[in-house]
Amino acid sequence: MLSQLLSSGFSRRDALRLATSGALGASLSGWMPVLAKATASAPAPAAKRKSCILLYMDGGPSHIDTFDPKPGAETGGEFGVIDTSAPGIQISEHLPEMAKQMDKVTLLRGMSTAEGAHPRAKHLIHTGYREGVGGLSYPSMGAIASAEIGNPNLPIPNFVAVGRSQGAGFLGAKHAPLVVNDPTKGVENLRPLVSAGQFDKRYDLLEQMESAFLKEYQAGQSADHKTTYQRAVEMIRSKEAQAFDLSKESAETKAKYGSGRFAQGCLLARRLVEAGVAFVEVNLGGWDTHENNFDRVKNLSAQIDQPMAALLADLKDRGMLDNTLVIWMGDFGRTPKINARGEKPGRDHYPRAWTSLMAGAGLKGGRVIGKTDEKGGTVIENPISAVDFMGGVCQVLGIDSSKWYQTPIGRPIRVVDKSAKPIPGLV
Amino acid sequence: MTSSPSLWVQSFVRAICLGGLVGVVSIGLAADAPPKVEKAAKKATIIANAPKPMAPGAVLSPSDMAKRIDGHVGALLSQDNFVPSPQCSDAEFCRRIHLDLTGKIPTAQEALSFLEDKSPNKRETLIDKLLSSKGYARHMADLWQALMMPPSIENRRLDGEPLVKWLEKAFSENKHWDDLTREVLTATGPQDENGATTYFLANSSLDKLTDSVCKLFMGVQLQCAQCHNHPFNPLWKQDDYWHTAAFFIKVKAQPPRNNKDTRIPTVAENNQPPNKKALPESTKKLPPKFPAGEKPTLTAKEPYRPAFAKWITADANPFFAKAAVNRIWAQMFGRGLVHPIDDIQDGNPASHPGLFEDLATQFKANHYDLHHLLKAICLSETYQRTSKPYQGNEKASAHYLARMPVKVLSPEQMFDSLSDLFTPPTTGQDVAKADKVEKKADKKADKKANKIPAKPGTAQRNQFLAFFRGEEGADQTEYQSGIPQVLRLMNSPQLNSPAILRNLDPRATPAANIDTLYLAILGRKPSSSEAAKMRELVVKADKPMDKRQAYADICWVLLNTSEFALNH
Repeated sequence: MLSQLLSSGFSRRDALRLATSGALGASLSGWMPVLAKATASAPAPAAKRKSCILLYMDGGPSHIDTFDPKPGAETGGEFGVIDTSAPGIQISEHLPEMAKQMDKVTLLRGMSTAEGAHPRAKHLIHTGYREGVGGLSYPSMGAIASAEIGNPNLPIPNFVAVGRSQGAGFLGAKHAPLVVNDPTKGVENLRPLVSAGQFDKRYDLLEQMESAFLKEYQAGQSADHKTTYQRAVEMIRSKEAQAFDLSKESAETKAKYGSGRFAQGCLLARRLVEAGVAFVEVNLGGWDTHENNFDRVKNLSAQIDQPMAALLADLKDRGMLDNTLVIWMGDFGRTPKINARGEKPGRDHYPRAWTSLMAGAGLKGGRVIGKTDEKGGTVIENPISAVDFMGGVCQVLGIDSSKWYQTPIGRPIRVVDKSAKPIPGLV
Repeated sequence: MTSSPSLWVQSFVRAICLGGLVGVVSIGLAADAPPKVEKAAKKATIIANAPKPMAPGAVLSPSDMAKRIDGHVGALLSQDNFVPSPQCSDAEFCRRIHLDLTGKIPTAQEALSFLEDKSPNKRETLIDKLLSSKGYARHMADLWQALMMPPSIENRRLDGEPLVKWLEKAFSENKHWDDLTREVLTATGPQDENGATTYFLANSSLDKLTDSVCKLFMGVQLQCAQCHNHPFNPLWKQDDYWHTAAFFIKVKAQPPRNNKDTRIPTVAENNQPPNKKALPESTKKLPPKFPAGEKPTLTAKEPYRPAFAKWITADANPFFAKAAVNRIWAQMFGRGLVHPIDDIQDGNPASHPGLFEDLATQFKANHYDLHHLLKAICLSETYQRTSKPYQGNEKASAHYLARMPVKVLSPEQMFDSLSDLFTPPTTGQDVAKADKVEKKADKKADKKANKIPAKPGTAQRNQFLAFFRGEEGADQTEYQSGIPQVLRLMNSPQLNSPAILRNLDPRATPAANIDTLYLAILGRKPSSSEAAKMRELVVKADKPMDKRQAYADICWVLLNTSEFALNH
């Protein structure tokens, strides 16, 4: 058992530390989860590093009005449905481009999570842990991917967020997202304020001062400081940093993705993954449709349909889809019951049953896992909790969920909590 | 009311034994030249070098306490054959103590006048001056506000300013630590009348509050015991957690519920049993009882918090003084005598157990006087050592304190130091103009952060802090910044036009201007080789514009050095 632990990314030092503190005993007596076994029996991950693009629908999209339609049901709403390139799978009529890509997609219609308030729900679905439990601040998916499958030698950060995102928690600044607020402007402060020649002169002088200080004080912090500056300057000068520059993309490609911030975010995500970035999150807000649900979801669907479809097609065309996991999800779903509080009908928060989407990274497409009842209110087949979902993401990306992190408070925390159940048939 | 659980007695007995043993054959301090003897014999000498145990009831002056600090630290150093580094330079001392006590670097003028001061006890004078300064009270308030009101999703609507003001007043009066703690723990009323209530508003769930109280005021981590017996610390059982939590069960804290909530946040005592829904899922309903201690007699009608506040601050509580001493020690040295800072327990001994006991004992004997404690630390040779290595002592791990540990400027220290450098010129008109601009920027930033503006500059500062904040509970001695932070420091327009640069006197010599930049940013004058190199840059430039560029280059370089980013 110990050798198994050691071979699964669990460092010898961690093991010794845990053994002496008594925690290893705990893990031997039942902390080894079902999931680790499932991962162990899965085929060995391909040699190529995987990447992930998370399209995050901020506010919580209505599952019934997007990817889990209930035509004819009282709860079904105003939208019609359309057939897709995947036989037997129907989605909202307002996602016609996505309909053509459904042969690449796995719909997870059994999402069932435990938080119904936005901040706590976002935290839970991004980290797999409830906010604040055990006095810790938890790393989000992107930070975990950066730490676990990121290429440490990449001159640009391995976690980039277009718009809002969740942070790195106890994994620290090295894995925190590099935030791009405006995809057309790229990374803030990437360009020096002086000419390249002038910058080189300055930096050269800085390096001299750094070396002198380091020699005199022999302080590890100074060495770390110097290294971080070197990495930042390497990024400034790197060809990879050009991935942030959307103007380098052809008009034809840009046209495929369409216009708008989300479309530009999707295109940027593809460029970054192409440059080797492990995790890109693109945020689209506005899904909190308590009022005027149908007009708003129709409009939002139009904002995501073309870019998302273009992203999947583009990844496929470039041979990148097999190594890139694309996830579409939000805070939670929305109530089957249509409220009549406002001027126009709306739907409220609904974590009990909702839909997320995965595509790429070697997953089979054109299928659905999980099922809700005829109203879209209860999961009746293969429920997936937030923890299960995190486990699934890690499994697909080749991240060892059972690895332990040492945290600042000394309590070891698993990448994914041991309660995670494998998502049936996902891999 | 006072309790003497057997475990405390045990730890006291152990401590006394240790202290006694260590001090048996004391023959003076380690400052003497080490005798040339065999290793084994040397070990014997060392034990002899530890300070004698203090007489019971002794009340030491800060300078005597400083000697005890050096005695304990010296004993461990010589035991393992490490040589301490010599005293730091005046420039190092001035910058270090400004950062540690007031949270920002000295101004060029402050640095220069300290360097030029010829009086022999100028270091002690500076210690006293800073302890009684506004900057000290503000910095301490800032540190404790961050601890008492951790940034979280729930707290984003809560205004921290009333707490900062309350703490600032308390620290400027040097309120005794036990009094301050009691006042915080029993705080009641509207937030605008009693800023200390913010603590309960910011930790409004029973488990968060219990975790925080144990962590901040007793230096113990109880959060694991919320759901199970503490795995590494047999002292804390799951029941202890809920017995402790029970003292706070009657607190009714009403933080703002949403952005439209205009009620004044208030903390009250609630005699009704709390709604079960309001309690954490794992709650075990148990009566109030002191952790590992006795059960106080409390009637259902009386508030429970005063009893707890009295118990926690009692001299007999072995955790209270130690927790405070350990935090202050960590503030000054980058890590606690016990590390992690809030994990005081038998299984995690202090680096210098005798010193830890002595400091706690003296803190009590001096009625929990923070000035006294801080002054003793600042006067010690240990604190005043250079952080440069000396005769191979770079091999000694940081806890030996062979040299002053290097700390990384916290985001707060970085922002406050930078904003002093960036302060616009101080003519009345300019100030008004700058204020207007800043207020406008703040309004915008505040609007963005969805918050009511607290005071000018706060939103900007909070944004900076959020951007630079490292790993949670990070070690102050670890460099935390990543590429985005470094990019901002190098390339953001806001951080590249310091007032100090604009204020250089165009008629002054390049050497004088370079001195000013070094003093303002690094708190020292340039070495002769640095001065020559930098001067060449300026002199080489013919046109005034190029000269300005040269100064801008120097300024950029200095602001981006690790010498600036570190407290050494």
